[in-house]
Amino acid sequence: MLLRCRIPLAEFELDIDVSFDARVTSIFGPSGSGKTTLLDAIAGLRRVSEGEIEIDGKVLFSSPRGIDLSPQERSVGYVPQEGALFPHLSVKKNILFGGKRNNDSGTTQAFTMEHVVDVLEIRSLLDRPVTMLSGGESQRVALARAILSHPQLLLLDEPLAALDVGLKEKILPYLARVRDEFCVPIIYVTHNMSEVLTLADWVFMIRRGRLIAQGIPRDVLGSPLALSKMEEDTIENVFTVAVVDSDREGGRSKVRTESDLELFIPYVEEPAHRLFQIRLSADDILVGTQRPEGISAGNVLPGKISKIESLDGQAVLTMDAGDVFYVRLTPSAVTKLSLQEGTPVFLIIKARSFRVL
Amino acid sequence: MFILSVETWQITLFSLAVGLASTLVILPLGILAAWFFARKEWPLKSVVETFVLLPLVMPPVSTGLILLKIFGRRSPVGRWLYDRGIEIVFNWKGVLVAMAVMSFPLLVRAARASFSEVNPRLEQVAATLGASPVRIFFVITIPLALRGIVAGALLAFSRALGEFGATILLAGNIPGKTQTLSLAIFNFVQLGKDREAYILLGITVVLAFVSVWSSEWLLRSQKRA
Repeated sequence: MLLRCRIPLAEFELDIDVSFDARVTSIFGPSGSGKTTLLDAIAGLRRVSEGEIEIDGKVLFSSPRGIDLSPQERSVGYVPQEGALFPHLSVKKNILFGGKRNNDSGTTQAFTMEHVVDVLEIRSLLDRPVTMLSGGESQRVALARAILSHPQLLLLDEPLAALDVGLKEKILPYLARVRDEFCVPIIYVTHNMSEVLTLADWVFMIRRGRLIAQGIPRDVLGSPLALSKMEEDTIENVFTVAVVDSDREGGRSKVRTESDLELFIPYVEEPAHRLFQIRLSADDILVGTQRPEGISAGNVLPGKISKIESLDGQAVLTMDAGDVFYVRLTPSAVTKLSLQEGTPVFLIIKARSFRVL
Repeated sequence: MFILSVETWQITLFSLAVGLASTLVILPLGILAAWFFARKEWPLKSVVETFVLLPLVMPPVSTGLILLKIFGRRSPVGRWLYDRGIEIVFNWKGVLVAMAVMSFPLLVRAARASFSEVNPRLEQVAATLGASPVRIFFVITIPLALRGIVAGALLAFSRALGEFGATILLAGNIPGKTQTLSLAIFNFVQLGKDREAYILLGITVVLAFVSVWSSEWLLRSQKRA
């Protein structure tokens, strides 16, 4: 698949140029980064000012060649965020709506309604009006409708975003089944990391219309540097902790993380054993190669560098110091201290650098 | 009192028939115009919209005078029609044209609001499912906007029945030929035939009530749905 397009938006320009070949490709990014716009462009629902879109050798759009297929000709199944079922038609009429598409559009797979209905377990819903469906049921019906139009590509726009957590876990397996059962490539838009990790073989990370990173989800989402670009250029360390000891006079509390690491933070009135979260910016950690003496910082933690990533004038270090810490330094600091993966170091953190959530 | 005279029947049925015909004539045009106003953008769109809505607020007599000038035999349009054997002025066709022009804005307004409430996402999804624009229009858009369209048509029909000013200028007030309920009431009052006038008054009240009530009911149930 080839996707190269430029679309001017109100606040920025969507400018993507990628080619990929995966069963499930995820487009991952915060809201407002242009993800839905991209799907609309692939489906032919939005004007693309310049670019080329090609699926399986079929050119859907090409500005240099003057090709711009209508949505009807593209054979792309689209499940928009809100599902967009036709409210005046029954479930059955909804899912058969696209079935009338002529099947000679190069599509090799042909699924019967019976098959799709069974895989998505919506048989009992067929005669219901769609206004009587729950959120999870609506999503399954919308999926069935898209699949039964015999698409060459399936576009899913945050299919789980509107569902609450319990329901998400119930729908995820259906998405996995669609992936495994129908052999239609899927482009899956989401801002949820665990959905990417569960479903996708390949991920594109986009922010404000630009590609930030791409690759196998485990690699891309495991990279604090890539994630920092998503989150407005901040890298946060977040720990879930419980108070071990509190000293009101001294103004600090001792807490223990889930990895049994003990830290000093500003005084909190939390009862023992109650779990809460604390945050620490990756920019607020000092790194020393020797144990410092005579300093005020409440936390001096021995540790080891497990990973160093450098890009755009910054270096993000992943540290193992009884728990995982992300530290951001300048590349010159890394050079000056000759830091490498495996180097033993000390992390110096002021108690007041921690913020209680 | 409820046994109506032949003349009353004639007037009532004539009004209903021409009112219905006028509504049927403007229906496809109104739906199309409303859809364009709700879904398309073009330069000077608001000017076009204002022109279509103008009869709603202009004095009906002024509209009638304009229509008379357009369709009169001395105008190019009137002459062109006359040469093809169609005469609008001072016969039932004049009544129909007056009713149609005066009630058109009501239909367009209701239908336009209704079309705007149809989620364009549904039409887009239908397109990705392979439905042609025509199929989308008839299977998705129209059914979803139907209540508003019908309500608008009912309003337009009521307005048509009540038409007076434009009709009297374009079609005249010719008993048995162009006389509608409204024109007849005016006529009877002028002639001092109060009883006849009151009977017709009663009929107009009943017709208007049924029409507006069902139109309101439809619009309310659309909001709920």
